[in-house]
Amino acid sequence: MSDIALEIDRLTSGYGQSMVLRDVSLKIQSGQVLAIVGKNGMGKTTLLKTIMGFLPAQSGRICMFGADVTGVQPHRLAGRGVAYSPQDQAIFPDFTVDENLRLGLSNDRGYERALDRVAVFFPFLAQRRGQRAGTLSGGEQKMLLVARALMSRPRLLLIDEITEGLQPSVVQRLIGVLRAELAAFDLSVLLIEQNVGFALSIADRYAVLARGEVVAAGRVDAPGVAGVIQNHLAV
Amino acid sequence: MINLLLDILTTAGILFIVSIGLLIVFGVQKIINFAHGAFLTIGGYVALLVTGAHFSPWLAPPVALLAGALIGAIVERVIVRPLYNRPLDAILATWGLSIVVVQLITIGFGRGVQFVTSPVSGAIHVFGADYSLYRLIFLGIAIVLGLAVGLLLRSTRLGLVARAVILNENLARSLGIDSDLVRFMTFVVGAGLASLAGALLTPLLSVDPTMGVTWLLNAFMLVMVSGTSLISLMLACVVLGGAQVVISTFGNPVLGGLTIVVLAAILLRLRPTGFARA
Repeated sequence: MSDIALEIDRLTSGYGQSMVLRDVSLKIQSGQVLAIVGKNGMGKTTLLKTIMGFLPAQSGRICMFGADVTGVQPHRLAGRGVAYSPQDQAIFPDFTVDENLRLGLSNDRGYERALDRVAVFFPFLAQRRGQRAGTLSGGEQKMLLVARALMSRPRLLLIDEITEGLQPSVVQRLIGVLRAELAAFDLSVLLIEQNVGFALSIADRYAVLARGEVVAAGRVDAPGVAGVIQNHLAV
Repeated sequence: MINLLLDILTTAGILFIVSIGLLIVFGVQKIINFAHGAFLTIGGYVALLVTGAHFSPWLAPPVALLAGALIGAIVERVIVRPLYNRPLDAILATWGLSIVVVQLITIGFGRGVQFVTSPVSGAIHVFGADYSLYRLIFLGIAIVLGLAVGLLLRSTRLGLVARAVILNENLARSLGIDSDLVRFMTFVVGAGLASLAGALLTPLLSVDPTMGVTWLLNAFMLVMVSGTSLISLMLACVVLGGAQVVISTFGNPVLGGLTIVVLAAILLRLRPTGFARA
């Protein structure tokens, strides 16, 4: 078993002829969290979509747990222990809480046990199983999203801008949940964030993406990291 | 009055069975399967072959369902799947297929009108009126089919997965759902249901190579005003089918034949979502 959860090697990708990512290389050690920060339009979501197989890689390689998954279809990645939490249209608003959570597993066996596990973090989910997800508050929908991603106990979690528009109390709660999961299981996380405080509070490493390239990277506990990131975000 | 009411209900049942396969395919694939009418015609000829071989007429609908599903599986793999990313081409391809099917049936069976033995005949006394037993059985089949498909969609994992693909295919794929497999299965089910409808219609109508064309037009308009909702389709079949019966009975049968198409077009002009929830 590889101790590298995700390795991206010189990845170039984009939409049609328009290249958004250029020669991006990143690595996540098993059990670690990598936060990708950057301003809007710098290629963060494109990176996640390419990793997930929604966009083709023009060149470069994506490996998960030692296996080359470049161009692998999205539904096959879920079978390899990858959970993806997209930024937009991330839940099924017409489905109930229960139905949304069921889709976090490949079948209904073990559903109740998985629900019990995530309901420890988000008790409202167990109490409002029959409620339409679209009628939950914005914060509750984000919690549902994280809960669904954790249902299958994934090995690699890809999260896109989970804190956008959330109250600080909800952000703190999500930090607590992710820390608990990281401590309990061999979970690795790729976090796309604009909320630098959230990103640094939970990540082991960071990378700054600007105009489709990694312009800074390192450990989050290195001195002056917050300043370095803020400089890049401010320009 | 009772006869009129039963006519409305049984016509709605007929329209529902004819349209449900088209709705299922449209919901998942986002394309109108213009070969739906051809699958219906295939069902009619399967019924002709089954009864012609002196098997029980009751055997015709399940055999037609299987035959339609089998042919649908081949069509999906060979014609529709390569065109997933080109929906307009997929629609044109199914239209072309329907023309080919009509020609092949004409070559095999001739242009002439043919008739299929009915599994039951005569009328029964219901609510003080004598009414066709077969039409009432047809209505019963429509209700059972509607409940079965509704239950499948609402209460099973397969239904949940199919609805997920209908509502947000990319999200469904990211959750590990093989949307290609869901598309394949829904096309097979849709084609099978179209052929089932064709076989069930044969005791009421004659069989000829173009029998699916008229039904395709009505089914198309009913699906257009129903979106992807089974409940909306039931409502559309009762309202528009009812209007067709009323106009045919009290006005002109030719005008009655145009009713569904005209009313659906007007409805879509006034309310683009039709009977579906906005």
